[in-house]
Formats: sequence, structure tokens, C-alpha cells
Amino acid sequence: MDTAGNTSPTTSPWRLGAKDALPLLGGYIPVAISFGLISVQAGFSALESTLISALIYAGASQFLFIAMVASGAPLWLVVLMTLLINARHVVYGPNLAPYLPPSRYWPWLMHGLTDQIFALAHSRLPLLAEKDRLGWYTAAALVAWFSWIAGTALGAVAGAQITQRWPLLGDVMPFALPALFLVLLAPRFTSTVWSLTLVCTISVAMLLKLLGISNGAIPLAALAGVAMFYLLQARVNARIKNGVKAHG
Amino acid sequence: MDNAVWLAMAICAVGTFLLRVLPMLWMKRHLIRQQAAATDAPMPVWLTVLAPTMIAAMFGVSLVPANQSFSAWLATALGILTTLLVWRRTRSLGWPVCAGVLMFGVVEVVALVAGG
Repeated sequence: MDTAGNTSPTTSPWRLGAKDALPLLGGYIPVAISFGLISVQAGFSALESTLISALIYAGASQFLFIAMVASGAPLWLVVLMTLLINARHVVYGPNLAPYLPPSRYWPWLMHGLTDQIFALAHSRLPLLAEKDRLGWYTAAALVAWFSWIAGTALGAVAGAQITQRWPLLGDVMPFALPALFLVLLAPRFTSTVWSLTLVCTISVAMLLKLLGISNGAIPLAALAGVAMFYLLQARVNARIKNGVKAHG
Repeated sequence: MDNAVWLAMAICAVGTFLLRVLPMLWMKRHLIRQQAAATDAPMPVWLTVLAPTMIAAMFGVSLVPANQSFSAWLATALGILTTLLVWRRTRSLGWPVCAGVLMFGVVEVVALVAGG
């Protein structure tokens, strides 16, 4: 599948969207199996665990939700913390908005706007013809959503047996996520300013994760990246201004 | 789950959905207004910079292995290198990811076998 060029795919946009979302399954299914297993161990039924995955549909916050409920934390605090972790999603919709052609389905489809679907859609939608975007997004989001739901159900019903039988599978398959993010990021190293911005963001994110700040790492590192971009851009602008003065 | 936990779950689900949908609707309305006014300032710059940096942050977080052993870091480094090389050659989405996962898995298996 070509990721360059502003062309309409010859295959159906639905099929292309489903195909593009396939690498996500390597990351989604093992994590969803873990969620189903931990949720059942925390006292939730298989049906409740699956419903949490279908309705909240936000990985890290779901783990926090079941852990806090199981530990007897006040429910207002559970809701607050869950929504706080998911607050990073507010920047995804506005960034996709310019690429969404008019349709009454878009608001409902935003339920599927996870971190990974955003990363995929932000890279892919601008390359597709307007008429293909709704089909592409719907297929990609549905593949990811159903894999998350199915993985949770599987983990809740047979998670213990699966992790005992194939212990390495859960370690290896999630590597699909960093590999996918890299493929989506690689074409963005287009200038010194962007390269330094992205390297800075990646380094800060890794450092925060290593320091144990898992939930805040993504928004904090992204903000550090934006600050770096503005700093570098200001230096470039100052250099251009000085150059113009020297030549003038 | 008792009724209070069901209610908490419902609020989390609706709240998360609104966090995803309302900013998109706001921006859509903003873009339509800008179009109608025929002005050319559709998106704030900080927002367009934030999108790639969010993806870079997700990449950075996902790079840190769950089990931080030497072999896990080595598998990560070689997996990333393989992904990048295959991407440079194919400029595609699926093949680089497959190759990266395969390399990561091979290094993990070799480390497991070598470690006994």
C-alpha cells in the first residue's frame, strides 16, 4: 500500500481502511486479553468487562477504572481520574476536522477515535479522495473497536490459559504499535526544525515513561515538543530577519 | 457490578465520547464560519504542531519495553531499525510493521533460548 501521493485507491475504501488497521491488532488484542483477564480477577464478570471495553473504549483509563473500583475508591474519584486520563483526546478531533467531508455519521464515529486510530487517520485521510474518507475511517475504526471487544471477551473467558500456553505472544505482538507509530512519523522528518522537535518529543516521552509517569507522558511530552517547535521556529525567523537586514 | 458502579461506568463512557466528539464539532463549525467569511486562518498553528507531537509522544512511550532487560532493549532497537529500513525501501504501512515485529520476536526468542 502506497503512503505517498494524493490518489484515490483503486480498491474499495472500506477494504483499504480495514487493511490499514490490521497492524493495530498486534497491539490491541494482547492488551485487550490482559484487560479481560485482570478485570475478571478484579471481580467483574466477562459480560461487564466486555461492556466496559465496548463503551469506554480507552485502554489505560479502563485499567485504572477497574483497579480503582476493585480497591473501593470513591466513585466520583474513579470518574474524575478516568476522564482526566482521556482528556488528551480533545486535540484529536480538531486536527482531523479539516479532512472530514460533510456527513451526519461523523459524530457517532468519533467513539472510535483512539490514540492509534487518530495517528493512522491523521496520516492517511489527507492522501485519500474526499468521497473515500468516510468509508476508510469507518472500516479502520470498526476493525480496531471489534478487535478490542473480542480481545477483552477472550481474555475474560480464557485469558489465563492463553497467557500460560503462549507467554511470548503477549510480549512480541504489542511491538506492532511502536513499529506502526514509526512508519506514521517517518515521513514527518522533513526539516531540521521538525526533526529536532520530534526527537525531543520522543526523548521526553521515553524519559517520563522510565520515571513511571505513564499516564501523563503523552500530553506532557507533546507539549514539550510544541515548546521546542516554537523555540526553533523563533530562532529560524530571527536568522532570516538578520539575513534580510545584512543583505538590505 | 452494583447500580452505582454501572452509573460511574456510564458517565465515564459518555464523558470520553464527548471529549472525542465536541472538539471535532467545534472545529468543523469554526472552519465553516471561516469559509463563509472567506478568511484564510482555519487552524491555530499550535494545534497543527500538537498533532504530530502527540504521535511522537505515543511512539516514545510505546518504545519503552514492559520488561526492561538488556535483551528487551536490544530487541526494541533492532525491531525499530528493521522497521525503518523496510519503510525506506517499500514506503508502505504493513510490511515495515510485519518485519519489525518479526525481528523483535526473533531477538526475544534467541535471548530466551540463550538464557536457558
